[in-house]
Amino acid sequence: MQAEIAVAEHPREQAINIMYAVQGHYGYLPDEGLLEAAELLDLTPLELEELATFYDFIYRRPVGKYVIHVCDGVVCWMFHENSVFEYLCQKLGVCAGEISADGLFTVLPTACIGFCDHAPAMLVNGRLYGPLTPLLIDEILEKLKTEYCDLVVCK
Amino acid sequence: MFEEVLFKNRRPDRPATLDEYRQSGGYEALIEAVKQRTPDEVRQLVTDSGLRGRGGAGFPTGRKWGFIPADAGFPRYVVPNTDEMEPGTFKDRVLVNIDPHLVIEGIILSGYAVRAQTGFFFIRPSYELDAQLIEREVEVARQAGFLGNNILGSEFSFELVVHRSAGRYICGEATAQVNAIQGNRAHPMKDRHMASDGLWHRPTIVNNAETLACVPHILRQGAEWFKGLARTKTGAGTKLYCVSGKVNQPGCYELPIGTPLREIIEGSAGGMMPGSELKAVMPGGASTAYMPAKYYDVEMDFDPLKAVGHRLGTAAIMVFDQNTCLVAATLNLMEYFARESCGYCTPCREGLPYIRDLLWRIEAGEGREEFIPMLQQMARHMDSSYCAFAPGAAESVLGLLKYFLDEIREHISQKKCPFAEAYRPHRKLWYPAE
Amino acid sequence: MPKLIIDQRSIEVPAGTKVIAAAEKLGIMIPRFCYHPGLGSFGACRMCAVKFLEGPVKGIEMSCMEDARDGMVVSTTDPEAMEFRQYVIEWLMMHHPLDCPVCDEGGHCLLQDETVSGGHGRRRYLGHKRTYHDQYLGVFVQHEMNRCIHCWRCRNFYQGFAGYRDYGAMQIGNRMYFGRYEDGPLESPFAGNIIDLCPTGVLTDKPCRFVGRRWDFERAPSLCLHCSLGCNTTGSARYRQMWRQEGRFNEMVNGYFICDRGRYGFAYESHPERPRRARVAGLEVAWAEAIQTAAEKLSQIAATAGPAAVACLGSARSSLETQATLQRFCRALGWSEPRYFSVPSQERQVKAAIARLEAPLAVSLREIETADFVLVVGADPVNEAPMLALALRQAWLKGGAVAVLDPRPVFLPFEFEHLPLAPGDLEAALEALTAGAGGTDLLAGGSPWPLLPKIAALGRRLTQTQRPVIVCGTGIVRESTPGLAADLVLRLREAGLNAGLFYLLPGANAFGAGLLSPAGEGLTPLMEDLETGAVKALMVVENDPFWDYPDRGRLVRALDKLELLVALDYLPSPTVQRADIVFPTLTLFERNHSSFVNQEGRLQLAPPVHLGGMPMAQISPEKHPPRTFLSHIPGGEPRTPGEILAELAAAMPAPVTLPGDDLWDWLSRKNPVFANIVSLFESPPGARLIPEAVPAGTFSPAAAPAAAERPPDYLELLLVDLIFGTEELASYSKHIQPAEEPPRLRMHPADAAKLRLSSGDRVALRLLGGTLEVDLQVAENMAPGVLVLPRHRQLNWRLAPDYRVMVAYGDIVKVEA
Ligand SMILES: Cc1cc2nc3c(=O)[nH]c(=O)nc-3n(C[C@H](O)[C@H](O)[C@H](O)COP(=O)(O)O)c2cc1C
Ligand code: SF4
Ligand code: SF4
Ligand code: SF4
Ligand code: FES
Ligand code: FES
Repeated sequence: MQAEIAVAEHPREQAINIMYAVQGHYGYLPDEGLLEAAELLDLTPLELEELATFYDFIYRRPVGKYVIHVCDGVVCWMFHENSVFEYLCQKLGVCAGEISADGLFTVLPTACIGFCDHAPAMLVNGRLYGPLTPLLIDEILEKLKTEYCDLVVCK
Repeated sequence: MFEEVLFKNRRPDRPATLDEYRQSGGYEALIEAVKQRTPDEVRQLVTDSGLRGRGGAGFPTGRKWGFIPADAGFPRYVVPNTDEMEPGTFKDRVLVNIDPHLVIEGIILSGYAVRAQTGFFFIRPSYELDAQLIEREVEVARQAGFLGNNILGSEFSFELVVHRSAGRYICGEATAQVNAIQGNRAHPMKDRHMASDGLWHRPTIVNNAETLACVPHILRQGAEWFKGLARTKTGAGTKLYCVSGKVNQPGCYELPIGTPLREIIEGSAGGMMPGSELKAVMPGGASTAYMPAKYYDVEMDFDPLKAVGHRLGTAAIMVFDQNTCLVAATLNLMEYFARESCGYCTPCREGLPYIRDLLWRIEAGEGREEFIPMLQQMARHMDSSYCAFAPGAAESVLGLLKYFLDEIREHISQKKCPFAEAYRPHRKLWYPAE
Repeated sequence: MPKLIIDQRSIEVPAGTKVIAAAEKLGIMIPRFCYHPGLGSFGACRMCAVKFLEGPVKGIEMSCMEDARDGMVVSTTDPEAMEFRQYVIEWLMMHHPLDCPVCDEGGHCLLQDETVSGGHGRRRYLGHKRTYHDQYLGVFVQHEMNRCIHCWRCRNFYQGFAGYRDYGAMQIGNRMYFGRYEDGPLESPFAGNIIDLCPTGVLTDKPCRFVGRRWDFERAPSLCLHCSLGCNTTGSARYRQMWRQEGRFNEMVNGYFICDRGRYGFAYESHPERPRRARVAGLEVAWAEAIQTAAEKLSQIAATAGPAAVACLGSARSSLETQATLQRFCRALGWSEPRYFSVPSQERQVKAAIARLEAPLAVSLREIETADFVLVVGADPVNEAPMLALALRQAWLKGGAVAVLDPRPVFLPFEFEHLPLAPGDLEAALEALTAGAGGTDLLAGGSPWPLLPKIAALGRRLTQTQRPVIVCGTGIVRESTPGLAADLVLRLREAGLNAGLFYLLPGANAFGAGLLSPAGEGLTPLMEDLETGAVKALMVVENDPFWDYPDRGRLVRALDKLELLVALDYLPSPTVQRADIVFPTLTLFERNHSSFVNQEGRLQLAPPVHLGGMPMAQISPEKHPPRTFLSHIPGGEPRTPGEILAELAAAMPAPVTLPGDDLWDWLSRKNPVFANIVSLFESPPGARLIPEAVPAGTFSPAAAPAAAERPPDYLELLLVDLIFGTEELASYSKHIQPAEEPPRLRMHPADAAKLRLSSGDRVALRLLGGTLEVDLQVAENMAPGVLVLPRHRQLNWRLAPDYRVMVAYGDIVKVEA
């Protein structure tokens, strides 16, 4: 990472990538990770926090191994209103942003994920799923729980 | 039957490879350009083709490229915009997944036309797998000599870097995107001219991925051919229409620009879902106003829509049926826009949540008649915000007020949402116990 | 010059003027939050919307974003624009806590004003209000985030204008938060400006918290005395005490802003031990009795030992009125001329500098912002003249370059080139640059000096500029350095460049002191006269040699020889404490008009802020005004030195009346530069007291004693300034004291390695007067061969025998814990 920044013409351009990398390491971007990243980038903690807190996909609080981004875009909404969200939360026994007891899941609402032709949709581990039904959700969760799969993290 | 242009290499299960792309004539335009055409000729051709930006604003592409002052220095940058966070829009994702090299060639050509050295492929995190795909294919293109130093033995050198965003709608706005790439907070910069003062104060051109995908075809087959593709006199080319909502076959369809709405919905999209009647569409993503059924025959192109007071936007057609409460839909949109507002200017940062609050009250049966003029005025005043985000956000509200005022009034007079019953079928799926 | 019509009135403004500023010239105050003339336009708040009726722009647009252009017809009262602005203010007030009754901004709050002017009188929003946690931002700035209207001014100043990086905007949308990464003092010594800028009560003045409403305060324009730049301020006093200083606009000096030393240094004025009563032999006596005693004793010594046995010492911090009156007084009594500096080298440096300052060369602080190249020689802007650092940053933001030649680890809030040269090398560098500017190829001579290539490169860049400015300090440089800086400027001007010259001086009115000091070598240094016994009585007027004078032991021995020490001052200084007779004087805030000449020769006037007297809080700590009524102001005895001197003259056994003619007439007879003065009331930027051209031979800078070169195995000790802790007046301010950093000795890693020392070590410095213990900090970005020691309040640096001392390696040892 240091090498990447060293060769970068504009080190700050790497800010998001570095935060993703640190987030990949810790599972989220904790304070210590933010401080490390800031140091690498020659930014002050405040300067990096200005960016970290701007974005949706930088998690400044702990999250489960898989973050389930449920689309709350209007197309998905017209098929389910909030049901997918509620269903997932109930199923996993969590509120939005919490980590399920097995440490695997966090449910977060997110902007339209560009899968509107398969509404209602959600994004887990880099993959888009839809049209969702309770059955499909159960299947997806089951698969994520039981099968090993490579984490898709933004690099 | 109309022959697809951008989607001609569509395969059912995977993106086209470099070889497949080349077999269909891919990279010929680039080879010809770097060997036989000057950058200015490329730009002139694109100008002549009448290509207008597909990112939402519909700005003539060739003209935008021409804004770079003749004496502007180097380096220069191009930014292929694949942020695509406009709700309802997924054309760039589909396009990249069908023919990544078409997009890459388009980017390289735009770089050639404006004599840029580097492109930043700006992509949202929800499309991480697509970002990885592009990264792979960029490497393939580099191996093939289409990227890097002295491309195809010419003087032209160009690099394409995938720049990952961390997800905010405003990052799609061109000037905010420039800030985002630089590692600044992604607030728009409306007082700077990107063509001379963009990324790191250098000339920078931001174009939508679909726009750029048109360029290789224009170069190969000519400006007149491209114009001839359109179904309207003032239009040019084909258009990727994303159809979603209450239709039988939602999806992204390439059609001549200017194809009437009715044909798109009833033809490609397979008509309305059983039991659904068309109530309204958003013709071009969540930042365009509801368009009621009476405009079913409008030609889906920039000018015809403008003529009836609407906007083509991203041509993402979201179809609402008679059972969908548009107050609630608008509330949903306001939740989205209020959450995504970059916070820079007051109308958007505070005004959108205010509108959301009023809509929420109306939807919850707490509406009052005096909310209506307030909504009207506030939505109209979004025009005076700093960037185009808030005016776009206000469009759904203005459309709601213009065409569906009765629906609002029903909420107010009945002190509840009159559509509650209509939701039953969906709710049954998710809450069988109810 | 574009001409436009605003609200049916036409006005012509310079090109580039924004419509909002053009309207202001017509007296039309368009509502605004984010726009500030000192910061520029941002288009964020949307409060300044007006309607463009005709011309190149049409419809509702922001008046802060549009340049005034020909043919524009603008309405600020158009109903549509008014409705929009009404909504903007309604939106901004959605979450505002409306805690005006307990908010310090209440009464001078832009948000209050615009809420009223925007016509927002009734809350319609039915939702909940947003709340935030506040942060601790240090001792100066109070944070109350709930009141924030997200106008961005604070961040635009803090990061953009000032270039500091620990305060900003976090989060997004209406959750945006302005603050630091975590609780902690703001790092910028200019942070106080965000208090003035914040249009509501988020950022308020902590020392002035809950003290009063704006209308409760006595307010007047004032000046900052905490360095030689002379920034303009507005002082606020209540209950016979200064509470607050704000930046005041001066287009030639500080612009809109001031530094935190200037903002919070004022509290010496209410120091609990400040002398308030006349004292004789340590006992408070009636004023008249003290006058009588002093007059008798002074005249007695003058009579017995001769008038030359009575000496007067003025200062570089007194007003010009005080400095001049002292001179007149001495002359009237036939005593020898007053001195104004206790340290002779300081006097010589100041005189060397001002002797070379002439109108075409001298640039103001504001003009530095338009320089395309600034060469700073022997100065550490943030610590010696803080606002200079911000002016340099503005030049840099506009594309100018800044290079600093200075041995210290200089920090500036932007990118600059730093050549850490030892003080001796500074002169060599200046000479080389001057030679180079004359067309000489510096490298041709094959000088062995290793830094020459760098200097040569600098010289080439310098000659390629158009508007270079040379900034020269007077703190650590040799006495001849200011003259060399002037030579370089002249040479550059000969080469066709519009070069400017900017000196820093030691003291708010060092310029005045220099003007009044005798030319040339001047008098025998005071200390020598004391030591030989030539002076038997000393009257010190607002000076404290215990502060400035390096060799404490020598000073004490010399003062011990005196028969009489009379002190006039407002500080509870060691000099005042040991004086036989003390007369308390007034600060510039109290009862008198006083003028000061800043480092570029600009005479500026400070009217009184209040009448003086013992602060209510010191009489009635219960915090409510006492209920007894007096016919006099308690603690109101202090007078101006001018008044005291007149009384003394009149009380002499052979009474002398000080000449009745006007002080300014007297001064202009003495020195033609004083003839420039028009009424300062009518000239807001002040009047320049510098000649059009320096007459050849009039001022010859005192020849500097040849600088002894540093012997091997010695380090040169430099006594330097810090932003907080070394400046005399501010060091008496209880607001500044908690912001001081602990003093540290700094040295170059090469020297540290030789001495086997590292950062954090406690080091003992054996100096002539004794051993000084201090923590060490090793700093890369400084010159080798020097020791940098702050003249810190908490540090007994006066064990050093002089301002320039060589310390042998063997005298720098680590103290084992
Ligand atoms: C709030 C906002 C979001 C936008 N998002 C996108 C986007 O995701 N993708 C895009 O191509 N253009 C987006 N745009 C439009 C861009 O600002 C810009 O006009 C476009 O990328 C230019 O490309 P084009 O000329 O090829 O259309 C957005 C504009 C606004 C105001
Ligand atoms: S309208 Fe204003 S707050 Fe909204 S996204 Fe644009 S600049 Fe940001
Ligand atoms: S803290 Fe004050 S200056 Fe800063 S954004 Fe908020 S209101 Fe504006
Ligand atoms: S820069 Fe100097 S004159 Fe200006 S406010 Fe600071 S200390 Fe005072
Ligand atoms: S609205 Fe859900 S994926 Fe687009
Ligand atoms: S003052 Fe013009 S937008 Fe804020």
